[in-house]
Amino acid sequence: MNIETSSIIKTYKEKTVLHLEGKYQDLFFESGKIHGIIGPNGSGKTTLMKIMAGLVTPTAGDVLYNGQPLGQELFSQMTYSTHTPTLFSRSIYENIAYPLKIRKWEKDKIDQTVSQLLDEFEIAAIKNQSARHLSGGESQKTALARALSFSPQVLFLDEPTANIDPKSIQVIEAALKKRNVEDGLTIIIITHNLSQAFRICNHLTFLDQGSCLFSDTPEKIMVSDHPTIDEFISFNRF
Amino acid sequence: MDYILNGFVEAFRLIFSFDPEIIQIVLLSLFVSFSSTLYGTVIGVPLGILLGINDFRGKQVVSRFLYTFMSFPPVIIGLFTALFLARSGPFGQFQLMYTATAMIIAQTLLVTPVITGIVFNHANTSGYQVVQTGKTLGAQGWNILILLILELKGVIMIALVTGFGRAISEVGAVMIVGGNIRGFTRVMTTFIAMNNNMGQYSISIAMGLILMTISFATNSILYHFIIGDQNEYRD
Repeated sequence: MNIETSSIIKTYKEKTVLHLEGKYQDLFFESGKIHGIIGPNGSGKTTLMKIMAGLVTPTAGDVLYNGQPLGQELFSQMTYSTHTPTLFSRSIYENIAYPLKIRKWEKDKIDQTVSQLLDEFEIAAIKNQSARHLSGGESQKTALARALSFSPQVLFLDEPTANIDPKSIQVIEAALKKRNVEDGLTIIIITHNLSQAFRICNHLTFLDQGSCLFSDTPEKIMVSDHPTIDEFISFNRF
Repeated sequence: MDYILNGFVEAFRLIFSFDPEIIQIVLLSLFVSFSSTLYGTVIGVPLGILLGINDFRGKQVVSRFLYTFMSFPPVIIGLFTALFLARSGPFGQFQLMYTATAMIIAQTLLVTPVITGIVFNHANTSGYQVVQTGKTLGAQGWNILILLILELKGVIMIALVTGFGRAISEVGAVMIVGGNIRGFTRVMTTFIAMNNNMGQYSISIAMGLILMTISFATNSILYHFIIGDQNEYRD
């Protein structure tokens, strides 16, 4: 699903947290790609993502999905997960099965889909544990498996690998790449990890203080001469 | 000290004598308190959830009023209920004063803010996240409400038991609107207060023990539902 944003402004209590103008007032997130949104803290990344995910209404500007405004049908084909996921107080298995149960899938099909995801994310051994007593990596893998269970067209991820171990990061990145390549899943991911952005993203958007400073391929950001981007890349190197 | 010990001995004798009057008082107390908790739950749970998960202008003012009402003195609630239900009051024509119905109304007014406030507090924090997550996974309408109730079931149980505890233990409101009429509106707390005033400590102790037993039983049920559920998936 292609996503286009146009002149987005978001203001909270008279404080403008996002104001896309100038060269990058309109952004384009192409279908079937992995798009990274990077930038320092408080730059408006989460606000932009929540606006695109239909969770926050912009103060001004539009978002179009395949040229259409967001409706319930389009909204139900997208999902969103954060680095502090809200898991329901039930087992890991039941958490992953939840989106399928509300879509009234048959029990056999639910079992098959959930089992595949449990194996893929290496959490089959703890499938009956309460999702309220998990480590950061296990929580994140459960949340991601749950988000992918119903095969959405667009997946929004807000720092999905923050504060988790390298092995879990590897499992998560492999799952994301697989879905992107095999199913054409469009992924929009916020990350502070530039190495990760280079490993998995086809396209990067850089935000700073509510403005967009860059939106192009990862290769091109390395030759950007903008001082803020340059500083961000330098800090990531060391 | 003797009169206290004798009081306990007499209390046990009274409990196991299955005095019809004592049984009638206990049953009326349970009926009034369960009824008011039920009405309080029906009103308070949806109201608490609605106020908690929605953002609106004046939400902070509403929450302040809610927390104030949670600690409203029962005597004041009883007084206001009596003013409205009295023969010359706005609802005087229904002749509800000094009836069990009047006691249920007063206790419902007492219990509803407690249940609403507890549910509101949790719906406002964790409930909002649950709703957002549910929506991003495709839940709508009834699915969201069911999800929210299931996620807040522990809190709802606590609210319910706290409300019931407030209802069954209060004396001021039921004394004013019920009048402690023997065989009609006499409940455990008014019975204890009356016998204490008359110096009949053994009867007061007996009823006190029954009240404490009911409180223990209610909390045991709560423990079973909440703590038992939390341990369900542990290794």
